[in-house]
Amino acid sequence: MSDAGSPHACLELEDVTIEYGRARVLSGLSLSVQRGETLVLVGASGSGKTSVLRAFLGLVVPSRGAVLIGGRIASQDGTLLQPPESRGLAVVFQDLALWPHMTVHANLAFALDARGVARSERDRLIADLLPRLGLANRSRRYPRELSGGERQRVALARALVVDPVAVLFDEPLTNLDVVLKRDMLALLREMLAARGGTALYVTHDPREARALGDRVAVLHDGRIVQIGTWDELCTAPASEFVEALTEA
Amino acid sequence: MGRDRQQEIALVFAAMLLACAVAPPLLALVPEVTGSHANAPGATSAFPMLGSARTGALLVRSVCLSAAVTAASLVIGLPLGVLFGRFDVLGARVAWALHAFPLFLPPFLLALGWFHLLGGALLFDAFGVVLVLAFALTPIVTSLVALSVRGVDPSFEEAGLAAAGPWRVATRILAPMCSPAMGLAAVAVFSLAFSELGVPMFLRVDTYPVAVFARLGGMDYAPGDAAVLSLPLVGVAIAVFALERRTTGAYARFVATAGLRSAERSRLRLRRWRIPVSLGAHVVAISGTLPLVGLCIRAAVGFSRAGEWLGATPWNSLAASAGAATVITGIGVVLGHGLVRQARGVRWLDAIAVLGFVMPAAVLGVGMIGAWNRAPTQFIYGTLVVIALAFVARYAVLGIRVCAATFAQSPPDMEHAAAVFGAHYGRRLVRVMMPMHRAGIAGAWLLVFVFCLRDLETPVLLYPPGSEPLTVRIFTLEANGPPALVAALALIHVAITAVALAFGALLFRKGRRV
Repeated sequence: MSDAGSPHACLELEDVTIEYGRARVLSGLSLSVQRGETLVLVGASGSGKTSVLRAFLGLVVPSRGAVLIGGRIASQDGTLLQPPESRGLAVVFQDLALWPHMTVHANLAFALDARGVARSERDRLIADLLPRLGLANRSRRYPRELSGGERQRVALARALVVDPVAVLFDEPLTNLDVVLKRDMLALLREMLAARGGTALYVTHDPREARALGDRVAVLHDGRIVQIGTWDELCTAPASEFVEALTEA
Repeated sequence: MGRDRQQEIALVFAAMLLACAVAPPLLALVPEVTGSHANAPGATSAFPMLGSARTGALLVRSVCLSAAVTAASLVIGLPLGVLFGRFDVLGARVAWALHAFPLFLPPFLLALGWFHLLGGALLFDAFGVVLVLAFALTPIVTSLVALSVRGVDPSFEEAGLAAAGPWRVATRILAPMCSPAMGLAAVAVFSLAFSELGVPMFLRVDTYPVAVFARLGGMDYAPGDAAVLSLPLVGVAIAVFALERRTTGAYARFVATAGLRSAERSRLRLRRWRIPVSLGAHVVAISGTLPLVGLCIRAAVGFSRAGEWLGATPWNSLAASAGAATVITGIGVVLGHGLVRQARGVRWLDAIAVLGFVMPAAVLGVGMIGAWNRAPTQFIYGTLVVIALAFVARYAVLGIRVCAATFAQSPPDMEHAAAVFGAHYGRRLVRVMMPMHRAGIAGAWLLVFVFCLRDLETPVLLYPPGSEPLTVRIFTLEANGPPALVAALALIHVAITAVALAFGALLFRKGRRV
């Protein structure tokens, strides 16, 4: 099933194959995320979701096929043409990857400094964003001094503050309890809608897919088995796997 | 993640520094052996010596002594490491620190201490060499095993505990899982024991490296003979190197990963054996420090004259060691990071560093003299730089492996996040990885520093006139100086090492609070 080649695409994979040693994780996969949309990539553990995300980020180079960011080829046939630092993307990892030796302010400032934002502008951007995420008085704290929910919000803030081409999420809510997950989903939905930018959200949880996705792509055994709105998936599932997923 | 230009430049620079230290002495052996070097006249005529029965017997004795030291260290260090690493031994930290301390002292100082404590009758033969070196080097096995068992994923242990008792879990699950660390420890102990000059010379036991040294620094001065005699040592070193590559080299990254993580998790219970086992562990740990008691008893009246004999020797030791430790830590940060991130070519550089470590100091010394004792390079050979350079050749592997172990403690996504947000290699290393791991990097510096500080074999062959380090001054005084004065100087060396370690421990505690 192909979804690539659209002129409005922000993130694209074209016929991508990813192998780790002898193990082939993705085989001839094509996928695109349109500008301004939130695409949720959902699938079981080991289906290759994280490999898709890492291919976009440039942390994995597909052995075959092309990765395009904003219409520009970033990797092709085993060659890295655009390194991660120049792709203009932002990411929220599952373990959040907040740098423990930096305060909240420094974590955000690092991302802006690396992109050459002037100091005064940098501080203004951080000061504007933190209150919107309920972190107004947390800027001088270290990650270890924050609650789990606050850490999640700092990771989100770090991703949003740089105004990226697209934000990529790698199962960021996996380790949260039910209440915190519900609150974070609401916050994510609000922030993504307010920003109006492109997002790729990887998860194994169909509830997150339903809550966040403009469209949902279902990945199974390294292939996209169906892509569409959540309602489309529910009304006309393309396989038993999709049906089971929507009923979960 | 692709390698960027900054990383390539850093790797090339680190590789050049490493190559400058390791390659010249090894390459210089060729003209030394063929007799084409002015320093080694008549070297070719020394070849028949290699076939003599005495030469063969010396080589076999040296290999056997080193093997015995390695075996003794494994027998004592493996159980002790598992106990300190994973069991609820009473006062485990104190016992581990006491046990490890002698490792950071020159072994011949320990031999001197044992002599003052036990007398010569027990010590002046091969048994004495094994006893002294086993106590001095066992902490390598203990510490690597302890850190390794701490690094084992708790779920392996918990799955075992569901079906078996702690002892079975320790012997059947933990011990086999730390076999790469044991292999690395065995190689390190064998290499250091095989290189050792001070202990066999003090205890009047002929070994092969002593025979090589005698032709460079003794009455039988014949550098050509020394070059030829060092060839079998190169052979042994290459065999050890091959063994290291086979047993642990391929797993260097995983050995590096072992340790430090999960340090706070709950320990296995010794139950009713806790008190007797703890007592036993403390007895073994304290035994290694007994030579210090011998030195203290003997040194009581020696301190009054120590000042006039010390001269600038402590400063020479500190300067050469600090210089080498700084260069090695720089190399270690770049190559250790590359090793953990599996950068192309770094395993080869790690192999070169291992080769420098397993090469006996006598061979390195012969090579260093051949490489640098020339008119245009007197600014190196005639100064402490030559000693620092030799330290880099010998101990670069310590910096690389400790930095690799440190960097492996953080998940790769910490660095990936920095890359995705636009940080190139330099910024990632300097702003993210190095501050995050500053305690570990400081630990690498300190470890290399104390290893350089304790080294006798390297500077004794190379020290420039009037610039000998403290170890060399004590060693040369040992033969004819007043015993009380020698013991006092030895204790001053012990004190310098203890202060450096205490300072490092304080910094480490502070750094770990990040």
